[in-house]
Amino acid sequence: MKNLLAIDVSKCTGCRNCELGCSAVQTRTFNPARSRIKILKNEIETTIVPMVCLQCEVPLCVDACPTGAIVRNEHDTLYVHDDDCIGCGNCVTACIYGGIEIEPMTRKAIKCDLCGGDPACVRACDYGAIEYVGAKARDLTKRANGISALSPFYRYEEQEAEP
Amino acid sequence: MTFPYKGYAGYYAEVDLTKGKVHKREMEKEWARLYLGGTGVAARILWEETGPDTDPLSPENVLILGTGPLTGVMFSPSGRMMFAAKGPLTGVWAESHVGGFFGPEVKYAGFDFVILKGRSPKPVYLFLRDGKAELLDASHLWGKETDVTTDMIREEHKDPEIETGIIGPAGENGVLYSCITVDRYRAAGRAGLGTVMGSKNVKAIAASGSLGLEAHNMDKYLEANDVEMQKLSDPIWTDSLTSLRKYGTTDLVAIINEIGRLPTKNHWTGFYEDADDIGPEIIAEKYRTGQEACHGCEVGCKYVYRVKDGKFAHGPAGGPEYETIMAFGSNCLNNDIESVFHMGTRCDLLGMDTISCGKSIGFAMELWEKGIITKKDTDGLDLSWGNVESMVELVEKIAKRDGFGDVLSKGVRKAAEIIGGDAWMYAVHVKGLEASGQDPRAHQSIGLTYATNARGADHLRSLSSLEELGYPEIVKARFDDEKTDAILDIMSPKHKGEVVWDIEDLYALVDSAVICKYGTMWPPVYYFDTFSNVISPLTGMDEWAQPKFVKQAAERINHLRRAYNHRLGITRKEENLPRRLLKEPMPTGPSKGGLPDLDEMLDEYYDYRGCDRETGFPKKEKLEELGLDFVAKDLGKRKMLAK
Repeated sequence: MKNLLAIDVSKCTGCRNCELGCSAVQTRTFNPARSRIKILKNEIETTIVPMVCLQCEVPLCVDACPTGAIVRNEHDTLYVHDDDCIGCGNCVTACIYGGIEIEPMTRKAIKCDLCGGDPACVRACDYGAIEYVGAKARDLTKRANGISALSPFYRYEEQEAEP
Repeated sequence: MTFPYKGYAGYYAEVDLTKGKVHKREMEKEWARLYLGGTGVAARILWEETGPDTDPLSPENVLILGTGPLTGVMFSPSGRMMFAAKGPLTGVWAESHVGGFFGPEVKYAGFDFVILKGRSPKPVYLFLRDGKAELLDASHLWGKETDVTTDMIREEHKDPEIETGIIGPAGENGVLYSCITVDRYRAAGRAGLGTVMGSKNVKAIAASGSLGLEAHNMDKYLEANDVEMQKLSDPIWTDSLTSLRKYGTTDLVAIINEIGRLPTKNHWTGFYEDADDIGPEIIAEKYRTGQEACHGCEVGCKYVYRVKDGKFAHGPAGGPEYETIMAFGSNCLNNDIESVFHMGTRCDLLGMDTISCGKSIGFAMELWEKGIITKKDTDGLDLSWGNVESMVELVEKIAKRDGFGDVLSKGVRKAAEIIGGDAWMYAVHVKGLEASGQDPRAHQSIGLTYATNARGADHLRSLSSLEELGYPEIVKARFDDEKTDAILDIMSPKHKGEVVWDIEDLYALVDSAVICKYGTMWPPVYYFDTFSNVISPLTGMDEWAQPKFVKQAAERINHLRRAYNHRLGITRKEENLPRRLLKEPMPTGPSKGGLPDLDEMLDEYYDYRGCDRETGFPKKEKLEELGLDFVAKDLGKRKMLAK
């Protein structure tokens, strides 16, 4: 059964506790730079955007990887197989959501693997902005709706496509 | 590396600005063990490096940036850091704390402390990244406001994740209450530490890092952290947290006005009739556009405001806190909230403490009302109460130290000396620091807090919310049962010496850890046991698991700060209140007629603290019990020990 994270951007305060929780579990240190989830802040516009792997249905990172290092685990979750990763960064370029990054210490790609089913970021978020959900239609809707708070900042309304 | 404790970055940067040299040194083991970090360690360093002969604005003064073991690790609310030096506004101990993201970033960049010494021959800024510290040229940044400076530094290094502590034009110009602005709209505001930074020709400290912080025992630490977070998540605090998340500190305008403690008309009274105009509801409804939190904080009290149109159109930007609204609002009889937003933001950008700035303007307004100053003195400005145009112009003039602005840029104590006559009667300060947004005539224990606070009239070293908001269960748990009723009586001086002594010790740890007052001051969730629970698994300092050791560390820090001030001439005579708060009964509002019984509280406080009632000097045995033999020796020579 596939799972993913649905993030309600309107609830995020940008406190970055998710980064601390993630790095504590994944690296046994407190180090936001090595976290698999990232909070992007723009203080001028006061926008706060949590970025994490969305567990895409059609993952661009997988296709971009020259060594086939991004594979599915037994929970159907995409993860980076460390031994195969050569740190080329192609996946980082390919992902349009900022869901995969090069780790500053190991120089290899890192992305969210949902902590094997008990995501640390969900536990760390006191504002209830991150939810661990399945991959049914309603979950996917939740994942999409969660980012609707960002629309005004990107002025989607003004850019309605021609019919 | 031989520094054995985890949770710390493990190094500090000692910067010789005169020679332009940066020395990276390993953290001292005993600093951590005996003084924890932050305020405690800063007190240890300043005791050694500065004294009665140090001119606060000379190269001999030392400016310290401090973090603590909890800064940047998972503990809510732990995104805090502090600055300390000998204060230019007061001439005594000065420290100021700030939240945001800068403190954690300094640690991720590999440093627990930065010690700035000397004076750079030209403007510089200190850049910290991944274990390296370097001084860079800041000529092009000099004169710039704080937001632009941040943008320029980020641009220069092509790194948007750089966090900064910056002085504005006010700090460069020597306004005595200049702040260090952090992350655009947070400030280490009080006591003029930005002025010290400016006097050293340092424009900014910037940090960006990817070094992690280890825990001595990660699993045990996360467990201990969970226990503490559970306390904060207890349903009894749900209302407090909901309020903080919706209103931030602006809620205090309403709460405090209700008990008649909101400084109004230069502290003349504690009740402001138009408080609703500058209160939480109107801000939340009309101007609040979002909510933010400092690093790793589950309280999340920071709000973002936007004024859409009119002459004060601005934003989105960080909104003014309670103290700022009080200082530029009720304190100056100004009910135009948009102007308060404007002046608060201008102070962030110019780099000035909003409390001292607003209080200096309120002081001038009262002198105007009394006829002590006229248009001839004020460069033609009409300083009638609530005259927004004049206030806005004065803020700019103060930052430039232009004309009458120069007089007010020195704070109310020195301004009163310059103006002369009866002006001193309206200067509301302790030790030269303008009083913050409380009033002992409506809340007895705050009088003792103001008087004994090492940096001057300010609530942040020992404010007790126990009787202010009424928490009987907590009072019962912390003090003897039979004292409960008297302690909960906000206008009774009984046992307040003990309460303030206890809370001052607690906050000494908060300020050294370094964490926020929220969670400790209000809601009053964390207590000494919090520190004995989390510090030892995080750092590996086993002694910190013993409650007695923790309490002693707190007392040690307080005694060291007090001793630092004694050496500069502070005695019971200076641990006092201004005439207005001590002798003029509250004239209007819910606390009408109130006056503090300072002497009674002070006597009790000195007894608990282990000091002499007559002078306030510490007992030799007390200092030795705390391992402060070197202090006892020094004070002994100066005849500053209890008889």
